[in-house]
Amino acid sequence: MIEVVHVSKYFDNEPVLKDISVTFERGKTNLVIGQSGSGKTVLLKCIVGLLDVDEGDIIYDEVIFNKLNFGDKKSIRKEIGMLFQGGALFDSLTVEENIIYPMDMFTSMTTEEKIERANFCLKRVNMVNSNHLYPAELSGGMKKRVAIARAIALNPKYLFCDEPNSGLDPKTSIVIDNLIRELTEEFNMTTIVNTHDMNSVMEIGSKVVFIANGMKCWEGTNLEILHSDNQVLNDFIFANSLARHVKNTMKN
Amino acid sequence: MGFFFHVGKYFELMLKVFTKPEKGIMYYRQTVREIEALGLNSVGIVFIISVFMGAVITLQTAYNTENPFLPSYLIGLGCRDSMILEFSSTMVALILAGKVGSNIASELGTMRVTEQIDALEIMGVNSASYLILPKIIACILIFPLLTLFSMIVGVAGGWLAVLFTHVITPTDFVYGIQYAFIPFYITYSVIKMVVFAFLITSISSYHGYYSYGGALEVGISSTRAVVHSSVFILLFNVILTQLILS
Repeated sequence: MIEVVHVSKYFDNEPVLKDISVTFERGKTNLVIGQSGSGKTVLLKCIVGLLDVDEGDIIYDEVIFNKLNFGDKKSIRKEIGMLFQGGALFDSLTVEENIIYPMDMFTSMTTEEKIERANFCLKRVNMVNSNHLYPAELSGGMKKRVAIARAIALNPKYLFCDEPNSGLDPKTSIVIDNLIRELTEEFNMTTIVNTHDMNSVMEIGSKVVFIANGMKCWEGTNLEILHSDNQVLNDFIFANSLARHVKNTMKN
Repeated sequence: MGFFFHVGKYFELMLKVFTKPEKGIMYYRQTVREIEALGLNSVGIVFIISVFMGAVITLQTAYNTENPFLPSYLIGLGCRDSMILEFSSTMVALILAGKVGSNIASELGTMRVTEQIDALEIMGVNSASYLILPKIIACILIFPLLTLFSMIVGVAGGWLAVLFTHVITPTDFVYGIQYAFIPFYITYSVIKMVVFAFLITSISSYHGYYSYGGALEVGISSTRAVVHSSVFILLFNVILTQLILS
């Protein structure tokens, strides 16, 4: 479980996150949604420690993460897997080497064990036989799947995904969404996904947190979101004509 | 204030770089890769520039010292000392600042803007140390060897120039390059190159590591890396010359 307690963040004295408190539960796919520039990525970076919070606390299973020193943070970071917007695969390494990298760095596994684990992860994301390809030879969706494989290589307790569907077609997006949900349930991880893709919200949002202008405006499930009377949330969800049409049809 | 901000940030980065490696074998492998990428891949350019500079120094010295009172073997001596004292350390360092410096800054800058450095940090890896320390070690090890290589090739270039242009006899040239030889000059040159190697890699790494934005900013970081490395090479050339030769 990850708790965000009264977190605020400022850039040049301008508030980017304002007093956000939210709990992300284990075994659930927690979604943070909001417009571009609403503060989703800043919140995610604060949670994983890439940015320091100015006020409040980030608590990982009762450990106050933001108050730990670099060395102590490392022990929690080894339990974190993260999928970046662009995949962030290491260009100079092959797919297999990318997945093996965290094992090389933090485990004493033998080469055979590492390759076996890499193959398992690749199979889990439907990327068998791509071991010796370089990131430049992969499509956007394949890069995301390899990045997920790398993220789960060390059996993380926490999985973070920043805009996993950006730049992907709707069909591939659904594949990635389902993969994230299945892995979350399979490995009982605490998963936080940043997105503004409403398909993801409806597909995998066991818990949804809506952020606007750096503030938490709403939280609930994907089933509750359609019936919310929060005006800001409705403006965001029903921004396109298709969504409005669906809503009107449901009303009628 | 901007200058002091960058100096402070640079030393803060160096403190992060010079920490105990998480896993020695990974750093060793990375260092071997960097020796190839930054050092061995620079042999070609060092060879070409040194051989031509050796030849040009010899010809210019020959055409500017047509004095019957000056013995012709001094042309060989001039070529040798120019190569050993200045060219093979300072000039080669400036050339490597362009080649290796821009390579380091653009590599790290691209890793920064494509979030590869963030990915390392999130895994719990000290990204500054893992990415920069092997480059510094590799360059400190390989650049002095490039200096020695440049000295040999440069003097050979001078000899070839003499051989083809007949400005003096090859025998006089060979006598000149052996005349009044001071071995300490080689030590002086190698010491300078060790310092230059550190300056090039650390300054370029600093600019690359703290890049932000996109392709444009990575290009700017790369340019700054080369300019700042070059300026500091020239500055430290003066300081080291005064310290070592005085």
